[in-house]
Amino acid sequence: MSLSTETYDVIVIGGGVAGLSTAMQLALRGAKVVVLERERIGNGSTGRAAGLLGQLRGNSEHTRMLMDGVEIVKELEEKADVEIFVQTGSMRIAETDARAEEIASLVRMGKSIGFAIDHLPADEVKKLLPYMRTDDLIDACYCATDGHLQPAELVSAYVKVGKDHGVTYKSNSPVTEMLMAGGTAYGVKTQDAEYHAAVVVNAGGPWSYLNAEMSETTLPTAAIGHYYLTTRPDSQQPIDRLSPAIRNRELRIYSRPESGGLIVGMYAAEPEIYDMKRLPVDFDMSAMKASQASIDVALLLDAAQRRFPWITPQTPMNITTGIMTFTPDGRPFCGKMPNIEGVYHCAGFSGHGIVQSPAIGVIMSELILDGNSSYDLTSISADRYFDVPELKARQDIDTKCCEMAGNYYGKVERPSAPAVS
Amino acid sequence: MKILVPAKRVPDTDQKIEVCEDHSGIETGHLPFVVNPFDAIALEEAIRIREDRVDAEIVAVSVGDLEYEEQLRTALAMGADRAIRVDCIESLDPWNTACVLKALVEQESPDLVLMGKQAVDGDCNQTGQFLAAMLDWPQATFASRIKCLEDKLLVDRETDAGIETVELPFPAVITVDLRLNEPRYASLPGIMKAKKKEIAEISMGDLGVQNAEKMHTVSVRSAKTARKRVMVSSSCELAEKLRESLKST
Repeated sequence: MSLSTETYDVIVIGGGVAGLSTAMQLALRGAKVVVLERERIGNGSTGRAAGLLGQLRGNSEHTRMLMDGVEIVKELEEKADVEIFVQTGSMRIAETDARAEEIASLVRMGKSIGFAIDHLPADEVKKLLPYMRTDDLIDACYCATDGHLQPAELVSAYVKVGKDHGVTYKSNSPVTEMLMAGGTAYGVKTQDAEYHAAVVVNAGGPWSYLNAEMSETTLPTAAIGHYYLTTRPDSQQPIDRLSPAIRNRELRIYSRPESGGLIVGMYAAEPEIYDMKRLPVDFDMSAMKASQASIDVALLLDAAQRRFPWITPQTPMNITTGIMTFTPDGRPFCGKMPNIEGVYHCAGFSGHGIVQSPAIGVIMSELILDGNSSYDLTSISADRYFDVPELKARQDIDTKCCEMAGNYYGKVERPSAPAVS
Repeated sequence: MKILVPAKRVPDTDQKIEVCEDHSGIETGHLPFVVNPFDAIALEEAIRIREDRVDAEIVAVSVGDLEYEEQLRTALAMGADRAIRVDCIESLDPWNTACVLKALVEQESPDLVLMGKQAVDGDCNQTGQFLAAMLDWPQATFASRIKCLEDKLLVDRETDAGIETVELPFPAVITVDLRLNEPRYASLPGIMKAKKKEIAEISMGDLGVQNAEKMHTVSVRSAKTARKRVMVSSSCELAEKLRESLKST
């Protein structure tokens, strides 16, 4: 049986925000791009993301990427005529001395690079967040320019602008094989067609390590379960759509307003690890459901209730569950591996895919078309663990990434140690 | 007051369902199993009744093999006081399920059997009605509101003609509909407590019941969905198309 063959400049595997942004930026620079999505465009992790944007990170290059990302998003909003960025402001709160020190060092660091962030007095916290328990707080900091990106709107903008510049999108097209000759990839195969291109981008999110395996490469990403709740709008408990996002690292939770209700999500201490190989070929992440007796949901509810005492198991709410892609250090993998030519990885955003995607698209297009980037990519290079023997076996990778995910909010960031980005 | 809540183990029907090649049933290998959503609503209602009147005891029951303990454990975590599993390796039809439940009711003497109007796997919508008839108890089906008073129950039923309110004395059987409530997720203390609770096991023989099949599955096939999609350019055109399609049906 001979399959039909289509030829492009770049094939992007994965129609989540990472792949869509990359495809759009490549097309804006004139490349002929196809996006092959295994299921629906924007489903997967992208479709389940909360989209919190906290621009100040432990790594100043990441902060630069996020701040530039906001500018890209503002342009996209114009081009696609949608509201993507909701500038609610963001707050970190501390109920212990260690967390207060964490906030103090963050504020110091922010101020040192001219970033608008400052401590917030208790009465101000209460005024901004009347629905949050504040009597146990010893410090808080506030950044007015943060907020969140609306994932669905971001997807539609990427696709609209991408389409306008000739990107082809194929849904229900899982890649079954990477086509390689002499250590160089020249395309991929799906069930009904062959696609040829000099460049293949692996933006497979939780599936990224399986895509890498097709090119005989170990990519140390792991698929990690995540849960958040969304309360229904309640006239007794109004949530202003512009009330600030909250990060309460001690309780491992974050929150932001959503359609009159509140999203509260949790970075669990012991998250689930998914073996993506064992999920059905047509696995649809939007059909994932938490069991009525899920321990993860119970932990989330417990933590949510500690900070927002009006949230109880009886509160009308939806539970969203999905899969995130974590890496051993919480930073993505962007770029080539030394063993194979033609394959660029772009995955492992560790819960920050939505907000990193605008700049990541630019970075990927620069890497692919120019061979280098205007950003310092040391901390996100794809090959940074290439020679690490402890990160070759699947089980070791899963363990390391899971540890990272579990520590993500749990660990107190010490000002002396390099901060987690 | 004692409330018996049957909780059936069913595949999560929101997943992609595939029929076995030999048409004997559906492929369940990859499917997650849940408490029948209508039974979960019944359990939630029982918990709410208990929250109003402290003397209520909630007994969750299931008829099935060892795997059914997972759903009973969920019921315990949500708030059932105890659980009974009637050991049965076959899948019973509604008549036989009702026979088992009747025997259990005679043993447990509950004041109220609160159960889903149907299970989402077979969609039979018969067990509750059979049970009430076998027990010669009053029944209210498709409940969308339940008021539990000292000596009687007031139940709003969802019917095609609208809401009907009926009054029932105890003991009674109520089958619940979708809009009655929203089942809660188990709390952390609920899950911890459930781990310590025992699930009682009874055999069909102990209950003096034998499976005498009334319903036989000949073949399972998936319904053909012939959805026609049309692109419309305006909401007016959409309204016109909808009007046309309503006329033609």
